[in-house]
Amino acid sequence: MNPLLAQFLAEADDLLSQVDEGLLRLEREPHDADLVNEVFRAAHTIKGSSGLFDFPELTRLTHAAEDLLDAVRGGRLELDATMTDDLLAAFDLMRGWLAHVTTTERLPSSANADGAVLIGRLRAPLGGQDSPAPAGHGPQAAPAPAATAPQWVGALGEEWLETTASWLEATSASLRFVRYTPEEDCYFRGEDPLHLLRQVPAAERFVPVTPAAWPQAAEYDEYACLLSFVLATRAATGELEYLFRYVPEQVEIADLGATALTRLLAGEAAAVAEAGIRLGDAEQAQDARALLEAALHVLSALPQEAAARAARVSSVERAVQSVARALGRDVEFPAHDAESVEAAARALLAALETAVVAEEAVPAPAEETVRSLAPAGPAEETAPAALHPADGAADGGKVGSRTLKVEQEKVDRLMELVGELNVAKNALTFLAASAEEEFGNRILGRRIKDQYAGMHRIAEELQAAVMDVRMLPLSVAFARFPRLVRDLGRKLGKSVELVTDGEDTMADKDVIEALGDPLVHLVRNSLDHGVEAPRVRVEAGKEATATIRLTAVSDGDAVVIEVADDGAGVDPERVKRKAYEKGLITEEQLETLPEAEAVNLLFLPGFSTAETVSDVSGRGVGMDAVKASVERLGGTVTMRSERGAGTVVRLRLPLSMAVTQVMVFSVAGQRFGVPVDAVVETVRVPAGEIGRVLRQEVIQLRGEVVPVVDLAGTLRMPWSPAGATRDVLVMWVGGQKVGLLVERFHREVDVILKPMEGLLADHPAFSGTALLGDGLVLLVLNMKEVLGVAAHAA
Amino acid sequence: MPLTLRDNTATITGTLTVEEVEPLAGWLRSTDRPRVNLRGCTHLHTGALQLLLFFRPTVVSRPLDPFLSTHIMPLLGKRNKELEASS
Repeated sequence: MNPLLAQFLAEADDLLSQVDEGLLRLEREPHDADLVNEVFRAAHTIKGSSGLFDFPELTRLTHAAEDLLDAVRGGRLELDATMTDDLLAAFDLMRGWLAHVTTTERLPSSANADGAVLIGRLRAPLGGQDSPAPAGHGPQAAPAPAATAPQWVGALGEEWLETTASWLEATSASLRFVRYTPEEDCYFRGEDPLHLLRQVPAAERFVPVTPAAWPQAAEYDEYACLLSFVLATRAATGELEYLFRYVPEQVEIADLGATALTRLLAGEAAAVAEAGIRLGDAEQAQDARALLEAALHVLSALPQEAAARAARVSSVERAVQSVARALGRDVEFPAHDAESVEAAARALLAALETAVVAEEAVPAPAEETVRSLAPAGPAEETAPAALHPADGAADGGKVGSRTLKVEQEKVDRLMELVGELNVAKNALTFLAASAEEEFGNRILGRRIKDQYAGMHRIAEELQAAVMDVRMLPLSVAFARFPRLVRDLGRKLGKSVELVTDGEDTMADKDVIEALGDPLVHLVRNSLDHGVEAPRVRVEAGKEATATIRLTAVSDGDAVVIEVADDGAGVDPERVKRKAYEKGLITEEQLETLPEAEAVNLLFLPGFSTAETVSDVSGRGVGMDAVKASVERLGGTVTMRSERGAGTVVRLRLPLSMAVTQVMVFSVAGQRFGVPVDAVVETVRVPAGEIGRVLRQEVIQLRGEVVPVVDLAGTLRMPWSPAGATRDVLVMWVGGQKVGLLVERFHREVDVILKPMEGLLADHPAFSGTALLGDGLVLLVLNMKEVLGVAAHAA
Repeated sequence: MPLTLRDNTATITGTLTVEEVEPLAGWLRSTDRPRVNLRGCTHLHTGALQLLLFFRPTVVSRPLDPFLSTHIMPLLGKRNKELEASS
């Protein structure tokens, strides 16, 4: 779907509920001027936006509702219950139409008829010309045949028309006349106009109209449909509408009686047509003008991006075309670009002005007679009760995408329940084990395991589904930056353009929310320290306007977000010197630290390179704060910088924090867990192969020396390894491999990690607890801190 | 095959679909004084009708199909007569 249309649908949905709510409240407090204003504005917005699309019926109906509301607003009318009913019905009808548009991108074929009835009712209190049907009128009253015939009817041949006119005269009957102009490329859509026309029931006469000028034989394209068709039939308008329901915009239907045909034959109608524009009533002219002005407005503010631009131009083009058609004019666009569309719109506006003047001077018999797929416009006298607004509502459901707004607590509750289901599910494996070991029933154990496998699958799917509900696009996190960059840029006197990419990458809501602050920090840093002043940039041979780029891509279970600027980059020498001055590194490190690693010093607590502390950033709580919060989310931060060319900070975060896969092992009889992400491998080495380097136990793994930490010792648990082999869990922590001496390996489990609470809340060595299937509480280690404690102890 | 192309006569039988429009167009382009037999034709694709209206071959046999015979034939016939009268 055209993005503009999708946006309109989503907006219209909100506006319609606003209108509904407003109207209902207005009924209770009819004199609340603000309320009237609110409803009026919402209706006005719908009307304005609807003009961008080919929905003339929608525009007309909102227009009528808007007029009524305007009268109420101006105090010329007192809103009564009937009016409220009519207004509500009108907006309900729109909702139905929009639901139809959501699925088919066009209005239901009954839109014109339904709309006309409501427009009549809405206009009635205004004393409008379109009064509703008189009370005595039966519900079956047929729409009156139009008074003038469109020119194209002439294609049916004078002789035949004369005969038909006299027959219709004698019988006071009418015929339906149809003009069907298939689009040139209709064959490519599998349409066969002739086949469609064969199905017209009771066709009296059928004439294919050949184009005024055939192309040269050499240029003749057999796949371009150049024919149009005119036919006369005894079939009812409803039948025709049904038949042509897929191509309503290519079909004109007119219900004509003898008078109209005679007039046509007498050449009277020609006079109207020669005015250039066939004007309906003043209302139509006004609508047309509003539409054209809206079109010009859109053209004046086209987006830069080519695809969006093209989409907008083509939708404006369609709008202009439909206005032209409603006015009985043909527009040609020499090229499908903004200029030619604009020129056409201006030409139509100009023609409209002159036509209005002409109209006022000579009151022509200008009853609107032909509309796309409807016999009569405002004069239609169908019984008001015969409305069927449910028509659209029933087949479409909700306007816009079918979304459900749910409170977050409910989703969180669902997630919690999934977690508990996981725990309960995990209990089955323990049950299976005890069936085998305690009760000696292997078969029962096997069966329980089978059951477990089934439940496991379902639970995983359920979990994935619930996680999916919690997923949000990163555009949510990016949304505040355009404004932030603009404001900060102005404040710092720097000219910066923000480019965002991959906004539709999805991540868990918690991640997105937690990401906000670090990202703000990074963008501020880039603006403040990275991007140079325009003068400096020009001197360095760069464009005066800097670019800050926010990019998000998903990478397996993680999402990678980059904040990149094309600023000055980081000066490694200065960073090192500064770190040394602040006592963060030793003199030796100052000499030996490679430049590439120098940037990582920025992440050390208490580091700030800005010469002056500005109010933008640089209070010494810079990058280390970012690093800490990203790591709290289970992510990593890396920074890459090139002097003079810019800096890239890359955040890598898990897509979801709700469920963690944990590897369970035990030490000294106590079970612990570590996130599986960090696990590299599990190895069993002979006890004799554990060596010592300095005071650190190490093992050699495929030529690599890996330090081994005795977890029991670190946590002061009484356990010393026995037997000839040692089990070592090798993990990747803080950029290096570390082994953990464990007693026994268990399995991987999916757990919902709960943060430590109460007295243990600040214990850094544990990142949380989880409930295991057998009811035990699992402590999940924060490996970084554990290593810190180990180093401290050693 | 709904379309049989001979030296100077094309015979259309049954339903002529959009697939046959191109061969018919090629044949009409390359044939001198083409003739078309529509006797057994029950439906023409719009593209084919347009071809017949454009190249105006001589229709040698009226279609039996009532719709084509009532509504389409007069047009093809008339055009041809007019053409002959004017040339």
